[in-house]
Amino acid sequence: MSFRRLTIGSAIAVLVIYGLLIASLAYYVNGADLKAALTSTRVLFSIQLSLVAATVATGLALLLGVPAAYALSRFRFRGRQAVDSILEFPIIVSPAALGAIILIFFSNPLGQWIQEHTITFVFAFAGIVLAQFITVLGVAVRFVKTALDQVPRRYATAARILGASPSRAFFTVDLPLVRRGLIGAGVLSWAKALGEFGATIMVAGTMAMRTETLPVAIYSRLSVADIEGTVTLILILLAIGLTALFTARFLLRERRRA
Amino acid sequence: MLELEAVCSQSGSFRVDDVRMSVADGESHVLLGPSGAGKTTLLELILGLRELESGSVMLAGRDITREPIERRGVGYLPQRVSLFPHLSVRENIAYGPRCRRRPACEYAPVVDDLVEATGIGHLLERRPDTLSGGERQRVTLVRALATRPRLLLLDEPFTALNESLRREFWRLLKTLQAEHGFTMLMITHDLAEGFFLADRVTVLIDGCVEQTGDKEDVWRYPATLPVAAYLGIRNTFDATVREVDGDEAVVDCPALGGSLRAALVPGRAAPPVGEPLALGIRAEFVALRDAAHPPVPGEYLLDGRITDASVAGAEVVLLFKPDGAEATLEISVSHRLLRRFDVAMGQPATAGLPPGDVLLLQAQTTPVVARRPPGQGGVR
Repeated sequence: MSFRRLTIGSAIAVLVIYGLLIASLAYYVNGADLKAALTSTRVLFSIQLSLVAATVATGLALLLGVPAAYALSRFRFRGRQAVDSILEFPIIVSPAALGAIILIFFSNPLGQWIQEHTITFVFAFAGIVLAQFITVLGVAVRFVKTALDQVPRRYATAARILGASPSRAFFTVDLPLVRRGLIGAGVLSWAKALGEFGATIMVAGTMAMRTETLPVAIYSRLSVADIEGTVTLILILLAIGLTALFTARFLLRERRRA
Repeated sequence: MLELEAVCSQSGSFRVDDVRMSVADGESHVLLGPSGAGKTTLLELILGLRELESGSVMLAGRDITREPIERRGVGYLPQRVSLFPHLSVRENIAYGPRCRRRPACEYAPVVDDLVEATGIGHLLERRPDTLSGGERQRVTLVRALATRPRLLLLDEPFTALNESLRREFWRLLKTLQAEHGFTMLMITHDLAEGFFLADRVTVLIDGCVEQTGDKEDVWRYPATLPVAAYLGIRNTFDATVREVDGDEAVVDCPALGGSLRAALVPGRAAPPVGEPLALGIRAEFVALRDAAHPPVPGEYLLDGRITDASVAGAEVVLLFKPDGAEATLEISVSHRLLRRFDVAMGQPATAGLPPGDVLLLQAQTTPVVARRPPGQGGVR
């Protein structure tokens, strides 16, 4: 077998593995369940909760992540290596462990003080956002940093010499040049936040109509052996995720043409 | 306009050391030097892209040593074009004036003038990635000048262009400088480019200023051995001053097997008797002599043989081995001139070293500020 065929075969295998898994859902799908799910208040709440929480978490992750990624990409400072190394922390520890760490934090005096004097995180909407934010922050920073690393510094330097302040050079030169990476980072972070389960369930629990996100709802249905309901929710989650990914690809392709 | 005072900077193992130089208002100053001499480092220090260890940078009487990059008011034409790829040519040009909050009514006439002079009017709505190398460099030049900088720094901007385009740019730069009156500090390792564009030159070697002065003076009278080597003087020999006789020095040069006379440079101190120095002579100034081409008075004559001849473009480079001497002289002659001599490989020949063309070079590195001798000038 030629090397070319071997690599193309591997690529097709990836499609087959994921395709088979998705296709297997069809065995349990029926229109009535799907219709019932889409009109169920509980399911609609879960969809809304998931969308809002993932959007807020991604927005916060980018708000902190973009400047952090810029610093990691452009400056040499004390602690840079430590910051760079800890970005993969949420990936290294399992989501459940990450959720447990968040819970333990809020059991400490500092965490308790935060809960009492600011926002309640444990078993609350803020907890879902926090769990998702912590899960995607490192990923968002890594993606944006990688994109920024590919933008030559000479553009920002030219902007500075022409009279732009550092922040103006960032907003008018670096940021537009990194827009594709930024969109990619945003969409992937959002998709990851949307599907986040382990940390969310640890911090926010599984309270229907309060903290039940789509992945948590899937778990709840499966735990009572409601296969059809589980499949229906999986398909909804899959549809939302794939729509986001294809929208991002479409946007990026349009930008490239411009 | 620009004054560098005792500028020092360390970058890894490379050091720019005690650089002192000045560029007058409206002057075209070229910083010459081999690769790795510190030319770009020096430009980056002026631009504020690097921090000085010590010393100061003064621009138009203002100390800009600690000024942020954007407040220095210096134009820059880099070696690698850095037009913003997401902006059109028009937006690229307007970027600087907008950053400096200049109203359109103020900068538009200047830009219009520059656009017309550089012939980029038809490119204004295009994106940089659709432009040729020459067009990009023109746009970069206009963008740099649109902010009306008093000082324009150029870092080998024409390296990537072909020969005819480069010459076109040289003329364009001279025209724009005459019209807009900016001061120019350019770095290059291309001697032809440097001496074409310069009023004055500074030769930088290993992070130190070796010589600075009018371009004719530096070209005609390189002061030190490294400068002479950089300027392409390949005939250099150890020598010792025996005596100073009026406007000439008599030097012992064992490599050439005797004593010869060298003219002292007007305005430069005569070397002390007994001081070891180097003697240099351009290959094109070594004269072939025969009955039809007699020596000039005071010329040092060497009998020897031609040991090698190589065609190097418009000239022929001969290797001449004087009889009984250790050295080999390089002689550069035109094809036309060579036809007038009856010289052949391995046959006896005579070479003459005119005193006026024998250079006395400091062997050690000491910065030399050269002044143009009265009545002399013109690039050879």
